[in-house]
Amino acid sequence: MAAAPTITRRQEDHPEARTARVLYAVVGTVLGVLFVAPLVWAVLRSFESEAAITSAPAIADFTHLTITNYQQLMGGSIHIWHYVGNSLIVAAGTAVLTAVLATAAGYGFGRFRFRGRGLIFAVTLLALMIPYQAILTPAFLELNFLHLTNSLLGLVLFYSTFNLPFGVFVMRNTFSQIPAELEESARVDGAGTLTTLWRVMRPLVAPGIATTVLYAFLFAWTEFLAALTFLTQQGQYTFPVALLNVETGTFGTVNYGYLVAGAVIAMVPCVVLYLALQRYYVQGLMSGAVKG
Amino acid sequence: MAGAITARQAPTRRAARADHGAPVRRRRSGLERAKARTGLLLVTPAFIFVAVFVLIPVGFAVYLSFTNYPLIGPDHFVGLQNWALVGQDATFVQSVLFTLEYTAIVTPAIFVVGYGLAVLVRRRRRGSALLRTLFFLPYVVGLVTESFLLLLELQPGSGGVNAVLHALHITNGQTAWLVHSNLALAAVCVLVVWFASGLTMVLLMAGMQGIPGDLLEAAAIDGASWLDQELRIRIPLLRKVIAMTLIISVVGSFLAFNQFYILTQGGPGTSTDTVVMWIYQVAFVQLHLGKATAMSLVLVVLVGFISFVQFFALRDRKA
Repeated sequence: MAAAPTITRRQEDHPEARTARVLYAVVGTVLGVLFVAPLVWAVLRSFESEAAITSAPAIADFTHLTITNYQQLMGGSIHIWHYVGNSLIVAAGTAVLTAVLATAAGYGFGRFRFRGRGLIFAVTLLALMIPYQAILTPAFLELNFLHLTNSLLGLVLFYSTFNLPFGVFVMRNTFSQIPAELEESARVDGAGTLTTLWRVMRPLVAPGIATTVLYAFLFAWTEFLAALTFLTQQGQYTFPVALLNVETGTFGTVNYGYLVAGAVIAMVPCVVLYLALQRYYVQGLMSGAVKG
Repeated sequence: MAGAITARQAPTRRAARADHGAPVRRRRSGLERAKARTGLLLVTPAFIFVAVFVLIPVGFAVYLSFTNYPLIGPDHFVGLQNWALVGQDATFVQSVLFTLEYTAIVTPAIFVVGYGLAVLVRRRRRGSALLRTLFFLPYVVGLVTESFLLLLELQPGSGGVNAVLHALHITNGQTAWLVHSNLALAAVCVLVVWFASGLTMVLLMAGMQGIPGDLLEAAAIDGASWLDQELRIRIPLLRKVIAMTLIISVVGSFLAFNQFYILTQGGPGTSTDTVVMWIYQVAFVQLHLGKATAMSLVLVVLVGFISFVQFFALRDRKA
C-alpha cells in the first residue's frame, strides 16, 4: 500500500517526465496564444480609428482607442442592427424548426418500428451527401417559384433541411439510448405518445436537443453562400451578406473600420454560445460523428 | 390499466373491449400497428423537408441540365448541349484543377496540425481544457467572419500580416498578398488550417480517448517507444476516425467558396476561382442556368463519390 505513492512521485520526478511537462507547457502556451491572437487582435483593431486601421500599424495606435466604428455602424446610414436582426430571426427560426423536426424524427427512428424505416432514414441522411452548395441553381428556381426567395422564411426552411441529417442523427442516438422500460412504464401508467415524449423523455433528451439547437443556430448565423444567392433585396440581407456590402462599399465608401467592427459583432454570439454550451458542442460532435 | 384504456383513442379502445374474449396477442398487434403509424407520422415532417429541398432540386437539376432554361420565357430541350459546354469551358476545368490543388494542400496540413493538437491536449492536465477551448475557437467563429478579418490584415501597407512578418525579419513587409494567385492561395491555406484543425483535433481526441489504456500500458512495458505507440497502436485503431476527419476536410475544401469569394473574388483573373465560385458566376452573373446546373451535377457526383467512399470505409471497419 505504501509503495504506490512513492512510485508515482518517482515517476513524476523522472527527468523524462519533467522534460515532457516543460515541453507541454511551452508548446501549449505558444500554440494557445497563436490560435487566439488573431481574434483578440481583431477586437483591439475594432476600437481603432479608421485612419489608424488603414495606415501602417503601430503600438501607439492602441493608446487612442475609440468606439467610433461601432457608433457609425449602428447609427448613420448603415443601420447594422437591421441586418443583425435579420440574422437573429433566421438563426432562431432555423434552430427551433430543426429542433422540432429532428426531435420528432429522432423519436420515430429511435423508438418505433415500422415498415420503410431504414429506407426513410437513409433518404433523410442523403441530404448529408448532397451538399447544398451543389444544388443552389435548382433550389433558387424552386424557391423563386414558391415565392420564397428574398424571404427570411425561405432561408429558414432551406437551412433547417440541411441541418436535419446531423440533427436527426444526434436525436436518434439520444432516443435509442433511453431504456425501453421507462417508456413502457409510462404507457402502462396511461401516458399517450406526446405525454410520454414531453413528461418522460424530455429531460433525458434535453442534451441532444441543446446540441441540435446550437449547431443549427450557428450554421444559420454564419451561412453566407445561400443567403447571398437567395436574397437580392438589401432589406432582407442577413448579417454576413451585409458585411460583404460593407467590404465592397455598397453602403457608400469602403470602410475597414466598419468591417472589423462588424466582424467582431458577428463573432460575439458564436463565442458566447460556445463558451456557455461547450459541453453540448463536444458531446454533439462525438455522438453525431464518432458513434456513426 | 384503466388509465391506459381511457387515454387511448377509439380504435384501440375497441380492441381493448374485445380483449375480454379475444387472446392477448390480438390486442398487442393492434397496439403495434398504432405504434408503427405513430412512428411513421413522427418521421414524415423531416422527410417532407428533405424531399422538397433536396430530392426535388436534384431531380429538377437533371431536367435543367438538358434545357436552355431562361429566367423569363419558355425553356427548350437542348439535349447534351449544356454538357458539351461544360467540357469546353476552360475556366470550369481550371477551377476544378485549382480546387483539387487547394484540397491537396489543406487536407494533409489540417490533419497533421489537428493530430498534433490532439496529442497535446488529449490527456487531462493543467490547462488542457483551456487549450482545447482555444484551439477549437476559430472553428466556432466561422470562416466568413475570419475571411473579412484577414482581408483587412492582408492589406499591403496597413495589414497586420505584413507588419508581423516584417518585425520577424521574414519579409520586407511590402507583400501584396491578394494580387498574386500563389500568395493568395498560401494566405487562404493558412487561414483554413487555423480555422479547421480544431475540429480535426476534437474528433481525433474523442477517438484517442476510446483506446483502452491497458493496451498502451502493455506496449510501454514491452518497451514500445512513444513513436511506436503512436504509429503502431493508436493510428491503426483510429483508422475509422482518421478516415472521417480526412473526408470532412476533402469535402469541405472541395466546396470552398466563402474564403475565396471574400478575399480574392477569384482573382487575379479567374486564377483562384473554386468550382462553387465558378458555378455561382455562371448561374447568377452570366445567367446560363442550364450550363451551371450541369456543372453542379458534376460536383454532386464528385462529392457523392467521396461520401460514398466514406460510408464504405466506415462500414468496413465495423464488420
